[in-house]
Amino acid sequence: MANVLDLRRRIRSVKNTRQITKAMKMVSAAKLRRAQERAMQARPYAQMLTNVLESLVRRTDLYGADGGDVMHPLLVEREEKNVLVLVIAGDKGFAGGFNSNIGKAAQKFIDERRALGQNIDLEPIGKKAIGLYKRRFPAAVYEHKEEEYDNGLSKHIENIRHRAEAIEVAAENPTLLIKAGFDEVTALGATIVSRYEHAEIDSVYIVYNEFKSVISQRVVVEKLLPIRKLGAHEITASEEMTEEQKEAAAKAAQSSGISVNEPEETAYEQEAKKFGTADVDYIFDQSPERLFRHLMPRYVTTQIFHALLESIAAEHAARMTATDAASKNAGELIDKLSLTMNRLRQAAITKEIIEIVSGAAAL
Amino acid sequence: MAENTNNSGLLQVRLVTPDRVLLDATAEAVELPSMSGYLEALYGAAPLLSELGAGEVRLHGGSSNDQVFFVAWGFVEVLPERVTILAETALHPDEIDLAEAEAELKHSQDLWNQAGDEQVKYDEANTVARVAEEKIASAQGAKH
Repeated sequence: MANVLDLRRRIRSVKNTRQITKAMKMVSAAKLRRAQERAMQARPYAQMLTNVLESLVRRTDLYGADGGDVMHPLLVEREEKNVLVLVIAGDKGFAGGFNSNIGKAAQKFIDERRALGQNIDLEPIGKKAIGLYKRRFPAAVYEHKEEEYDNGLSKHIENIRHRAEAIEVAAENPTLLIKAGFDEVTALGATIVSRYEHAEIDSVYIVYNEFKSVISQRVVVEKLLPIRKLGAHEITASEEMTEEQKEAAAKAAQSSGISVNEPEETAYEQEAKKFGTADVDYIFDQSPERLFRHLMPRYVTTQIFHALLESIAAEHAARMTATDAASKNAGELIDKLSLTMNRLRQAAITKEIIEIVSGAAAL
Repeated sequence: MAENTNNSGLLQVRLVTPDRVLLDATAEAVELPSMSGYLEALYGAAPLLSELGAGEVRLHGGSSNDQVFFVAWGFVEVLPERVTILAETALHPDEIDLAEAEAELKHSQDLWNQAGDEQVKYDEANTVARVAEEKIASAQGAKH
């Protein structure tokens, strides 16, 4: 049986832990608020880009003369032999089931696709996702070929992919989550688009945590390429939150002053919806085909950017919930330990009194 | 336009980047670096959709404070009383890192040299070069 001193020491240590988890929760709540804001502010651009594309599709003959052929390489559907999967997790732990849920959803998807005999390329984003695949699967091997032209004035560079295993890690993006800058995402989007256009991959999926609000989020597998319908998120699998998780998240959000409702549409967003759709005959400065060609890769980039921002918000929300639960558990533990300690102390006092009383009675 | 009719003779100008709405102001005129050359939109302009290349968006009059933005790629919708600019990158000219822009220009030359026989790569190198050149011009213009 522990003595009072031990218990007191233990309580102090648990109190310290509670202080830390409480602080972490506050930090996560602040970060979540910022991340949510960022995701909101990024919406008008995405909306407008989609609008322009949609209006282009409506106006122009992007389909071949026979009405069937699609004119853009990103719209071409091939038989899915090589599948690229982007897995977005977090950079840090302490976020409850956030990282492992993403990992589970991704693994389920990979298993399904392997069962169909498809090859998988993985592209993890975030340190936790990278750590998940680094040791298990080999990195993709590219042969770098250079050819000199015109007496060394010009060079032809080609990277040829040699696939050795069914599942390979195509590339890693360890720094993408730190700033989540649009430029970095553009670079990532460009490589994906080029790989798709060169038929190195036949489809692209993205596994991430969708975030509408604290109590409305889910892990989804979304199809990025080929594009079937503009502006729509083509979800192939999703894992909703359980009621229990929702309750915990709502509690955590309430105690840190974060709204559990989806943020309302801003005026900008409503305006953005009208972009390029006014009921007038627009003059097109450039040929619609050319515009379409330039807009398509950017559309893909915006989709990835959107997923990234939502995932970041979700990560902070998960950490907030997890640390809130940890603080609560610490509180309960402190109560329990205090009770035991008080009992022990009381028992010791009672024992002493009995000793004194019985000593006095013996006289 | 049925909705939002304003008779002030001023254009409502918005500049939207992937991160946020950067500018929301009124102006008498807006200069835009369209892919096919600079164009200027005034109040009552005919509806137009145009792709923007690298260059400067310049605003005049109204509440715009005559601001200038460098944009690298974008898209603009011109309506009689509204101009909405979608820009992939938008910077104030004095925010431009000149050394970085010059490095980009050098990089574009490398790209050109390594393009081999692929037209696409030449186009890409050209685009990078153009953005870098415009960036440098914009940054230098801000100093004068």
